[in-house]
Amino acid sequence: MFIRGPIFLSLLALLLLSPAQRPTTTRAPVTFEEVPASTSKITWVHDNAHSPDRQLPETVGAGCAFLDYDNDGWMDIYFVNSGPSDFFTPPKPLKNALYRNNHDGTFTDVTDKAGVAGGKFGMGVAAGDYDGDGNIDLYITNYGSNILYRNNGDGTFTDVSDKAGVTAPGWSTCATWFDYDNDAKLDLFVSSFVFYDQSQNPLCTDATLQRRYYCVPRLFKPQPSRLFHNNGDGTFRDVSRESGIAGSPGKSFGAVATDVNNDGLMDLFVANDTMPNFLFLNKGGGKFEEIGLSAGVAYGEAGRPRSGMGVDAADYDGDGWQDLFVANIDQEFFSLYHNEKELIFTDQPGEIAPSTQLLSGWGLKFFDYDNDGDPDLFLVNGHPDDMIESRVRRVTHKEPLLMFENTGRAFKDVSAKSGVVFGKMFSGRGMALGDFDNDGDEDVLTSNNGEPPLLLRNQGGNRNNWIGLQLVATKSNPAAVGAIITWQTGTLKRTRLKTGGGSYLSSHDPREILGVGSAAKIDSIEIRWPSGKIDKLTNPPVNRYVKIVEGTGLVTK
Amino acid sequence: MRKNSSNSHMKAQTIILCLLCLFVAPVRGQKADVVQIFEQVATFIRDNRLAEAEKELNAVLRVSPDQPVALNFLGTVRAKQNRLVEAESLFLRAAQNDKSFTGPRMNLAYLYLLKRTPDKAVPQLTEVLAIEPENAEALVMLGDIYLAQNNLQKAEQNYLAALGGRLENAAALFGLAQISRINGETRETAIYLNRVASLSADSKSPEFLYKFGLEAMRVNMFDEAKSALERAVELKPKEPSYLLGLGIAVLRKGDLFEAEKLFRQLLAMQPANPQAQLHLGYVLLNQKKYAEARMWLEKSARPGVAIPEVFYYLGLVAQEQNDDARAIVLIEKAVQKLPDYAHARIALGSSYMRLKNYTRARQELETAVKLDPEEPSAHYNLALLYARIKEPERAQQELKIIDQLKAKGATNNGVIVLPPKSNP
Repeated sequence: MFIRGPIFLSLLALLLLSPAQRPTTTRAPVTFEEVPASTSKITWVHDNAHSPDRQLPETVGAGCAFLDYDNDGWMDIYFVNSGPSDFFTPPKPLKNALYRNNHDGTFTDVTDKAGVAGGKFGMGVAAGDYDGDGNIDLYITNYGSNILYRNNGDGTFTDVSDKAGVTAPGWSTCATWFDYDNDAKLDLFVSSFVFYDQSQNPLCTDATLQRRYYCVPRLFKPQPSRLFHNNGDGTFRDVSRESGIAGSPGKSFGAVATDVNNDGLMDLFVANDTMPNFLFLNKGGGKFEEIGLSAGVAYGEAGRPRSGMGVDAADYDGDGWQDLFVANIDQEFFSLYHNEKELIFTDQPGEIAPSTQLLSGWGLKFFDYDNDGDPDLFLVNGHPDDMIESRVRRVTHKEPLLMFENTGRAFKDVSAKSGVVFGKMFSGRGMALGDFDNDGDEDVLTSNNGEPPLLLRNQGGNRNNWIGLQLVATKSNPAAVGAIITWQTGTLKRTRLKTGGGSYLSSHDPREILGVGSAAKIDSIEIRWPSGKIDKLTNPPVNRYVKIVEGTGLVTK
Repeated sequence: MRKNSSNSHMKAQTIILCLLCLFVAPVRGQKADVVQIFEQVATFIRDNRLAEAEKELNAVLRVSPDQPVALNFLGTVRAKQNRLVEAESLFLRAAQNDKSFTGPRMNLAYLYLLKRTPDKAVPQLTEVLAIEPENAEALVMLGDIYLAQNNLQKAEQNYLAALGGRLENAAALFGLAQISRINGETRETAIYLNRVASLSADSKSPEFLYKFGLEAMRVNMFDEAKSALERAVELKPKEPSYLLGLGIAVLRKGDLFEAEKLFRQLLAMQPANPQAQLHLGYVLLNQKKYAEARMWLEKSARPGVAIPEVFYYLGLVAQEQNDDARAIVLIEKAVQKLPDYAHARIALGSSYMRLKNYTRARQELETAVKLDPEEPSAHYNLALLYARIKEPERAQQELKIIDQLKAKGATNNGVIVLPPKSNP
């Protein structure tokens, strides 16, 4: 055997290295690093309007969003705040906040200039280009009536709520943009929580503490959620009744649009608090059927409705079927519903169950935090009752974040090695996903009830290779919700459905980062658009964002 | 088995021998110097300095061989030395020599109870009561004997006599609580036990606290049971049965974390304790820690001893691990042993449903509902089944039943699996 000189020398050099110097195949774990306000310049703080009267809306807000409002290719940030209502007059003006990304890790508050301060008792936010003009608009849900801000394309927005017909008075929580009838326009689902006003706040007291505590939502009447059909002319039509959505009044929080039976029609999974969850199956023709019970996702064991809050959907085990996740309140366990096909799900939380037994979950999202190609899971937690510690042992008001890594068929709790922030406690609520530093891995933004938000930079996710897709629809809905992306590296093929919504009161970076692990090359990417069109890319570039236009394919590198 | 039985016999002896000391004190009518000697002897016996006590007593008995107090003391010494035949003989001689001396008769009663011959204890106690009709200790002992013989009327008479119209005797009240519980009078039982709990708040007797704890659990007074068992464990931390009892009380209170800690503590002391293994397995099952639950449950299964709950729990673990075929085999074993086991039938129905064998699922679930019409999970699974076989109206009917049950207060308090029917 003949060994060429340089190779032999390099082998020799390796042998001479001490063990500590030898290259190791063990990679450092991916972590999330807290970006402090002093660095990000995000000084906005959520005010939950906390009062001795313990009004229920104080406990549930609020949401946050990653969005690119100025189309500069960098994720900006939006926060929702409390505001005036029938039970609350802020001692000083409160406002929602829009922060523009300065491309250097800092943000600038442009709320007033953009005209998106809200001014109501805010809950959630959903960003989406409802009018297809290429600019991301904002829909804000409130306790009161909702706001649709149309993006003018010049850094400003206009409140078009009344004209659009989407004010939806009452108590709205999560909003989800999706195209339920595949007419290439974004329709809007708005979760409704309970019927509530100042006179509806019963006295719930703790005899020992001689203080009021927050009443459980069980005491309040459910409300039907709303579905708005996009007319394509800047207005919407309330189709809640005719679609069947209004036939199921709930106490709804998180919602995700996904396709649970692979029929090309987007269904809705909606979490309800103290009531059975809803799985609205899209039957086509603008009709939905609520099948939560028969699907096995409505109740907990023994037929007990649980307190569902955050939800998401993804095919976590790569079997081609969308699985569902719902976070509940403490002692109820969170549920990971595996799709058994035929519209049947089984709850298989695995390690997630013991890790979440004492926690109450809100914002959550499946995403590939380490770019190895499969969806992992991030959970934001916090108990709604600020006095819980005096009433229930081991349960705390502020709770830790959790990170679960996908092991193929299940999830492993990797929080302890995912960064010091996982050792801290928060009143977590909203959670948005986005690559704010454009480095090719998903960062996390959380909004905390009555606290400053948390911006978490993903450190190390981009050690694996990736490609970021900006999908530009021409025949499909502008958000490409419902698109199926398939990518192949060698013999490994992965598929992802672009879902709508998910998490809690929050909205996400619309781009899709496809992780390919250590593969240096991606053989192919196929995008099956909701319109039915298919775009195929061969040997696309890695470790960069690309724009893919429906019907045209890759247009920029 | 033999070893266990011998251990419990020894334990009972220790308990009773401690009590014997209580009856060495009466030294009425003795000369001052003799009184002094007997006081000294009593101290020696209490301090377990038996040789010194015996030396003093022999000196007295050399002079007065029939001296009843000395004979009673020497009987106590022999009993403490576990020489029970000699002890009995000495107590009998003491009682014979002084007909009005109740001490040796009480000791004899204890001795006979120790020897599990309560029929011989009864005449001794009757004699005591003939001399001292209000002797509460004797009345309670007699009440306990009758209670053990299920002669509730006589037991009640004695307990009531021991109370003498005042609710101050914890042991007598405890006896009355047990009678009420046997008679199905839950409210009365709770009243008696509540009084016992307040009287025994400072009890230094771990045995009594333990007995009380178990009784309180039988009538679902888990707070009181927990509190008593906590004190029993405090007084005697290394007694496995107390730890098990406390673990079960904590479990019934719904504190899975504390229960887990206690069962683990017990298993550290007794790694092969099947009750602790079963209960830890159960706790872990409810915490959804399936792999470890399975390990402990399998350990708790003893060859030749088929406990239906073990098969049921292992079946649930298999179910959760997505192995319904195995779950069915295990749960069928539980049902074979206990055909009326409604929860096992629910689990069986659930597994058949997951395997899409809707006919068998329906059979099992409908049987479960008949066996336990007030169990919400039976109705829920039936609702799920009806929904899947496209009988939505029947599904809704089952859901309505669940709502009605909730309105009636039927709840499993978030615990998904019924705890083992254990008797610590």
